[in-house]
Amino acid sequence: MASSLRLRGLTPLFGLVLPVCAWASDTGGRWLDVEFPRDSPVLFVSFSLGPTTAHVRGSSMALDLHTSLVLRNTGNKTICGLTLRVEAQDLTPAGKGSVTVPSLNAQPGEVFPVRIDMELLRPFNVTKTEGAMVQVTLDCALFNDLSYYGPDTLDSRRALTVYELEARRDRRYLAGLLETGKLAQLREELNFGMQDLSPQQLGLALLREPEASQKGEQAVSVLPVSFRSSPVEPLGGAARIFGNQVRAPQVEVKNRSLKTVRSIEMGWIVRDQQGRDFVAGSSPASMRLGPVQKAKVTEPGILRFSHPTGQPMQIGAVMAFVDSVEFADGNVWIPSRRDITEATSEIGLRRALAASPEQQRLAEVYRRKGINALAAELKKVN
Amino acid sequence: MRSGKATKNDHPSLQALALYSNGDLPWLMRLKLGGHVRNCARCEEQVARFRSARKELNREAGTQTLTGFESITDWTRLEREMLGNIAVGVAAARCIDNVRTSRTLVWRAAGASVGLAILFFTGWFANIPSDKKEHLTASIRRSIGIESPQITGSVVETTPQGIAVRTQGATLTILHPPSAVVSLAGSSSLGARFVDEQTGQVTITNVYGQ
Repeated sequence: MASSLRLRGLTPLFGLVLPVCAWASDTGGRWLDVEFPRDSPVLFVSFSLGPTTAHVRGSSMALDLHTSLVLRNTGNKTICGLTLRVEAQDLTPAGKGSVTVPSLNAQPGEVFPVRIDMELLRPFNVTKTEGAMVQVTLDCALFNDLSYYGPDTLDSRRALTVYELEARRDRRYLAGLLETGKLAQLREELNFGMQDLSPQQLGLALLREPEASQKGEQAVSVLPVSFRSSPVEPLGGAARIFGNQVRAPQVEVKNRSLKTVRSIEMGWIVRDQQGRDFVAGSSPASMRLGPVQKAKVTEPGILRFSHPTGQPMQIGAVMAFVDSVEFADGNVWIPSRRDITEATSEIGLRRALAASPEQQRLAEVYRRKGINALAAELKKVN
Repeated sequence: MRSGKATKNDHPSLQALALYSNGDLPWLMRLKLGGHVRNCARCEEQVARFRSARKELNREAGTQTLTGFESITDWTRLEREMLGNIAVGVAAARCIDNVRTSRTLVWRAAGASVGLAILFFTGWFANIPSDKKEHLTASIRRSIGIESPQITGSVVETTPQGIAVRTQGATLTILHPPSAVVSLAGSSSLGARFVDEQTGQVTITNVYGQ
């Protein structure tokens, strides 16, 4: 491996307690490996460690790993975004993580940092195996022509493509507001340069439990939220609600375009019993859906919601919308700003639907550096 | 008139004469025996012997001590001491009874506590959500060996520090700042989005279960 970070022998730098050091030494002494293929357009330059520590917690060992990797775009294309796969040998293959940096716009030869902050909790009695406890690899790098590099085991290409299309849409929209002098609207879009002190936050848990019905479960209809230009239309569906749980929501969709659809990303909105709407997120579903065909999208398992304080959120209703559509030819549809504006009159929900990663980044640029920096940023990227 | 001809059968027994000599017979028998003794020299002599022997014993006892402490002749004092000892014994018995009573109280308090705990647990168990109830029941069944350990998949959830995937006894948490917005990112995936304070980049972290 050309770019391989071996942290063997660096354990004293971690400032660990002695027993944990000894234990780490038994496992081969490596906490972290960063490995990129030789032909990767992104290569590892250096790293820095933050306050990385290991300590004993009950019958487990907890490793707090804070590292910043410095990577270089060694290709000849601008990298729009990339996803690093984070795997811990104790969880493989059942569990893994990833860190994605969208809106990167790393020019050829440019170096850029990627931070990884994680905690690994593993029992002491696990079978010791060779290799580092945590392995970081490249999953996908997306270029500005929407081509990509990487194994894409986490379906990162589709997500990075959606992020990039949303970024282009929002940059065009904000640049349009700037050019036409609609500064009041621009400021409103960017939260008036203020930090969002009360972002829409949810506590979520995904449970893969058997489909056993619960006494007191309530069957509800899933209400469709349609975007005018969407090639796939949600027709409605059903779900079962039990307290703060939404069980096996499903929605029927219809392809109203003339192209075959490869996958769609279904967005879910939940309404609590006070009538507040929360965008719960979206999940992709692979399907082959010809023109005018219908299909049913089901979210298996149980979604359990809570407030950030941990208090269960009593669910009153569930809504669904089509967040993105990937056609068989590889093209991707995302809703336009006009689609989002027309879909709902509720300002909070509209803002949540339109909140792309790029808009979040640009709002931060505006908040920290002002309108001129924002204009320069829009000009630079566009 | 004294009769020295009294037959063996006419004379009272030695035990009766001994009791008579010390005045220990009931008054009717003492009266009857006194009449005989006054008229019978042999019996009168025997009674005199008894009285003499008693006097001798009293005299000797007055000069000796019992185990070197007290005179046996001080019957009144001996009686008081015996009564005192009996009183001490009774008091000790009462003390033991008190100890037994306090032990009983402790046991009763413990029993009441256990009863209250059972009542509290039953009330709590009856009111927790049914899914937690099933989970707890299954855990107890597994821990006591009634049910074999269930091979569960992964759990993906938010934590105060980040988003976590928990499986095979290990947990991987991708940390994020409090300002991060967490959302569903797939059928078994959660995502968190935030602006990195140091780099200014938007960062999206994900965890994936199975």
